[in-house]
Amino acid sequence: MTALPADQTPKGFAKRVLRPRGATFDPIFGFLCGAAATLLLAALTGVMISLAIGGWPAFAKFGPAFITSTRWNPSPDVVGGEFYGGAGPIVGTLITAFVSLILSLPIAIGVAVFLTEFCPRILRRPIGIAVELLAGVPSIVYGMWGLFVFAPLFAQLVETPVASWTPPPFMADFWNNIIIGDMVPNGSGILSASIILAIMILPFMAATLRELFLTVPAKVRESAYGVGCTPLEVVMSVTLPYVRRSAIGAVMLGLGRALGETMAVTFIIGNAHIFPKGVFAGGSTIASTIANEFAEATTPLHTAALIALGFVLFIITFVVLAIARALLGAQRQA
Amino acid sequence: MTVVEPVETYEYFTEDVPNAKLETKKLDFFYGKNKALYGIDIGFKRNAVTALMGPSGCGKSTLLRALNRIYALYPGQHAEGEILLDGENILDRNQDLGALRAKVGMVFQQPTPFPMSIYDNVAFGVRLYEKLSKADLDNRVEESLRRSALWTEVKDKLQTSGLGLSGGQQQRLCVARGVAVRPEVLLLDEPASALDPISTAKLEETIVELKADITIVIVTHNLQQAARVSDNAAFMYLGRLIEFAKTDRLFDNPKARRTADYITGRFG
Amino acid sequence: MVALAGIVTLLLVAVLVISALVAILGNLLRARKLANLGFTVFCIGGATLAIVALAAILASLLANGFSGINLAVFTQDTPAPGSQGGLRNAILGSIAMCFAGMLIAVVVGILAGTWLAEYAGRTKWTSAYGSVVRFINDVLLSAPSILVGLFIYTVLVARGVPLLSFISLGHFSGIAGAISLALLAVPVVTRTTEDVLRLQSRQLRESGVALGAPLWVTIRSILWKAASGGMITGALLAFARISGETAPLLFTALNNQFNGLNWNPADAFGLNGPTANIPVVIFNYALSAYDDWRRLAWVGALLIAAAVLGINILVRVLSAEPKRS
Repeated sequence: MTALPADQTPKGFAKRVLRPRGATFDPIFGFLCGAAATLLLAALTGVMISLAIGGWPAFAKFGPAFITSTRWNPSPDVVGGEFYGGAGPIVGTLITAFVSLILSLPIAIGVAVFLTEFCPRILRRPIGIAVELLAGVPSIVYGMWGLFVFAPLFAQLVETPVASWTPPPFMADFWNNIIIGDMVPNGSGILSASIILAIMILPFMAATLRELFLTVPAKVRESAYGVGCTPLEVVMSVTLPYVRRSAIGAVMLGLGRALGETMAVTFIIGNAHIFPKGVFAGGSTIASTIANEFAEATTPLHTAALIALGFVLFIITFVVLAIARALLGAQRQA
Repeated sequence: MTVVEPVETYEYFTEDVPNAKLETKKLDFFYGKNKALYGIDIGFKRNAVTALMGPSGCGKSTLLRALNRIYALYPGQHAEGEILLDGENILDRNQDLGALRAKVGMVFQQPTPFPMSIYDNVAFGVRLYEKLSKADLDNRVEESLRRSALWTEVKDKLQTSGLGLSGGQQQRLCVARGVAVRPEVLLLDEPASALDPISTAKLEETIVELKADITIVIVTHNLQQAARVSDNAAFMYLGRLIEFAKTDRLFDNPKARRTADYITGRFG
Repeated sequence: MVALAGIVTLLLVAVLVISALVAILGNLLRARKLANLGFTVFCIGGATLAIVALAAILASLLANGFSGINLAVFTQDTPAPGSQGGLRNAILGSIAMCFAGMLIAVVVGILAGTWLAEYAGRTKWTSAYGSVVRFINDVLLSAPSILVGLFIYTVLVARGVPLLSFISLGHFSGIAGAISLALLAVPVVTRTTEDVLRLQSRQLRESGVALGAPLWVTIRSILWKAASGGMITGALLAFARISGETAPLLFTALNNQFNGLNWNPADAFGLNGPTANIPVVIFNYALSAYDDWRRLAWVGALLIAAAVLGINILVRVLSAEPKRS
């Protein structure tokens, strides 16, 4: 037993303060943390309420027509005056998002499968990291590339041949009304925007799917290979079913990104405020409309209409994200 | 010796500890709605080591965690009855928890060095409660590290991270950290279960030395360890105190059948 | 050259479509080997296509961006159409707004994440509230940034919300820009803070409290310290996210032909007015008809992409460190 100096007898607590340093601040700190958490809640509520209030004049004036009408006329001088019907941008948003998802999902699955099943071991990490890094590249970079590089090429290699092709009579109606529409072969339009969006969300979805695939226990996959399954059968009957719910959640997150994306789309969608007339035709999305017109909106009603479009976008993405979170969250707890 | 009336199907054999440093009276403990301790009456002898034994889930750790009210971190948990520290009920609503824990220290199963230097680890608690000069603080750190038998091993690297020590050293650092605030009671929750035999022996030596001026309560599932370090020993089972006596008596001549079964290895 | 790349891409797309058809056909015919062959080709082709597309983007970014970089980019302000200039004011404005935004986001995000990890689980009510906040945070994490910009515009720029008009600045400003960036960064910081705090052992938390330390001292001196690596990672990721954001700045910071920054605190160091920033400059210049402006847009895009990639690589290096010990 080490002897203690006489003046340091451990029995005495004379020098000791009753409350430790910092005790007074303890409840304040807890309160601050709670307040910060509440701030998050307030922010989202604030987004919703401010968009609702800001867009109210447009909702009040046009009623359901704001959603259903395709007439978007900001100029008071034209016959009929200012009129805002958002069906064009709303449908444009949904179409570009879904088309981009359809384009990128199979490839994202392909990339994720490639990285987990086929890729030479030495390349797995570098490619995996590259995919994750690309998921962080700002969307305006994708937009610029789309405008300056992709669009001219797309016009030259795809749109010009497509425009010059005469369809056989039995599918002429379909071709002219659904595919071509009023295409201007300059590389911009609904399909171009969808392709750029698809390229933009591809790294994100591929990286997320790859991470999900890696959560499948090696034993499970190996035992499937052990009974003679081909890689296709392993992916289809073991890997994908194993991560099904999370994978759908990840896809919904990708969809959420595509729905709300502004910059990658605005440069290349053609910015026509009409109901899209075909896959190759010009169109607009909610985000691109707001980005393009907001600074130039001259009347309060025009601003209100743009904010009202924002409110519609908020509702759409909120629903999509809520579903995504419900699916991802359920998996996390299980 | 008091022979307590058997409750349900168990026999109870406990001894009174006169002038106990810390004692519980009719202590019940609840995790939410689940009752984990049933009317525990036990006294912890001043400046001695009391061992709490029993199979997993018997409530020994729960009892330990009640003694410094660390459970109060989790609002679902609460204790009823009395826990007297020098005659004052620490379950009292007005009890200042910080002050209580400065008097009743605790060391955990896994070593938990803080992410800071060895010196700061030991000084952490001291700085909270006492305003010491640099020299006094240095002395206190050295004294605490000496008492936990760590000084010679770390005196040249006090400013390096506590995370760099071996498991056994980390655990003795945690003891030094607890000792540095000069507690009156030290609670040890299976402190040696993550350590190798040599580190365990060193830690046990430390425990025996510390009891000169600290009342020690140790939870252990290692019977030899309890026999080696403790003066009194308690056997618990399913949230109840089955037998409590001087350690020699409990091991040589257990009165309750369950205690006998446990220490002869027939269950648990 | 470019046209050749385009034709290669088209061929790849054709391969993809054909292999997908082969896989489906093989599946229908129960020709397992054939189906698998189609699938394998599809996966490899898909990965190739993805790599080609993304490499093409980076290549044109590097080619166009580097050819436009010169000293003037960093020393001169954004030019009038047709004249020479640089991006100095936009770079400074972006840096100032990002840092101001991060300052807010780090404080709010760390506190909120701490609440979710350390305080929310205490009672039935707080944990219910905690899961609401966690959900809200997840929504904010992936909410369209343009909506955040609109929100800040209506509250801070336009006096659009009746009861809140007293906090409105009434004009476009760098402050509004910084706040909208903060709102995008907060969810990232909150999420990572909560995640890394949850990784800390329960006993570490208890051993601080067991020494008699107040809970907040335990959190500040022990838990935050133990979790600092992960928290820095989260902050850097948030920084990477906001440094490329364009949409919210369109309606908040707007743009400024000249260097708006100064050292006057009363003017919020120049942020109390429209503030130039790289993303909005890119947006405006890329859509213009002037070659000089387009060149600067590429340079700006290169700078932003380099910054974001640099931060991401830094994060990887930092977060790989602790695994060694």
